Amino acid sequence: MQMSKRLETYLEEISRYLGTGQEKQEILTEIKSHILEKAGQEYAEVTEESIEHVVEAYGSPRQVAEKYLEDSQIIAPALKGHLLRYTTILFAFHLGLIALSSILKTSMAVLPFLYIPEIDSFQTLFTIPMAFFFDLGLVGFILYFVTQSRKDIRLPWPKLTLDWQKIRERKRSKPKLFLLFLMLLGYGFLIWLYWRSGTLFFKTIDFQNPRSLLTPDASTWYSLGLLGLLGIGIAAYTIKFFSLSEWVDLLRSACQLAILGIVINRPIPNPFLDFTYLDLQIVANAVIAVVAVFISVDFLKSLVILGTKALKEKSSTPYEGFKKER
Amino acid sequence: MNDKTEEVIGMETDIGPFETEMNRGFLQVLVLVLLEKDMYGYAMVKVMEGKKYALEENTLYPLLRRLEKKGLIESKWDITEDRPRKFYTITKNGRKVRAGLLKMWQQQNAIMNRLLKENANV
Repeated sequence: MQMSKRLETYLEEISRYLGTGQEKQEILTEIKSHILEKAGQEYAEVTEESIEHVVEAYGSPRQVAEKYLEDSQIIAPALKGHLLRYTTILFAFHLGLIALSSILKTSMAVLPFLYIPEIDSFQTLFTIPMAFFFDLGLVGFILYFVTQSRKDIRLPWPKLTLDWQKIRERKRSKPKLFLLFLMLLGYGFLIWLYWRSGTLFFKTIDFQNPRSLLTPDASTWYSLGLLGLLGIGIAAYTIKFFSLSEWVDLLRSACQLAILGIVINRPIPNPFLDFTYLDLQIVANAVIAVVAVFISVDFLKSLVILGTKALKEKSSTPYEGFKKER
Repeated sequence: MNDKTEEVIGMETDIGPFETEMNRGFLQVLVLVLLEKDMYGYAMVKVMEGKKYALEENTLYPLLRRLEKKGLIESKWDITEDRPRKFYTITKNGRKVRAGLLKMWQQQNAIMNRLLKENANV
């Protein structure tokens, strides 16, 4: 007898979900035999229609395949902690290389996996999330093979100052009016200082005769950059009076990174007033890069918190496979 | 059983994920008991249907496969009929495990009954 088209499609789909296991063919034969048996026993004859009924009752191809795959995991649950920890370490290293490559304006490679081309600061901002997903994938790939080997391999557990568990449990404290007042006061003072002296970076603390550390061009860009960073910080703090959402922090970090990108991307040769004969922009850019790393860590923290929250919401949906038959 | 307990395990309560967990062990013993005589999958479903128990076919076959991998049952295809059927048989080791599991199940049942009786008297 020629195999029913419906049954053929059904088995093909299950086969796709079963992957490449050795027992795949045997499993498919088992299912086929059961469906034909049931269709023959419960309906007058085996027809497309009777097969349709039996297939429908057997369950969706994905659901069927998952029951066979219950014991096989991509990454063992015990290794999930390692996935996050190793990714964090690799990403920190990767981030350092990206920052170095951006400051030194050169390409870098750590064979065989990491290659960072010579990119400008704007491109660097886009490279950071890509680097994170690459590192996550690479670590996941290695842990997949560790899981599949089914050997009790003891993996090292390096200590970190950045604890994912603590990040996920970050408390959302309510903003305080008094602190906001202090911030606004300080910010007002800085604006006044900039308006009066044309810079926020001084060589000496002498209000009668202020001497700038930087050239006028560098003073303008770096001072406005600093005011921009602080202004966004204060704006985000103010928004928290109305919403404590993690999105506020994510948006704040993103805007601050964009400002740093603009400043670092601006060619300011010989920024230091006393050393105009030396091109020390690299020093200024290194300072900006360190600030960018701190903001990037905060940006990633917000991403992790939002991602974890989304996953939690997804997993708390009611169990759909339950049938109240009994 | 007191009212409080009935409220918790009553049919109106959604016990979905818990039922799956609870069934996992039970179905293993059930299949080992069913295979006192050789049977094929569809026949097992029908026997249990006669006893008012819906044995889900898409759960049964993966379970049979797991038990076979652990050496508790064996299988062989019968192609003498017009339709090929896979017959399952309990192994010697399967019988030993079944005896142990049944003893354990009876002990658990006794403990549970004792506890429920005590709860009813509270």
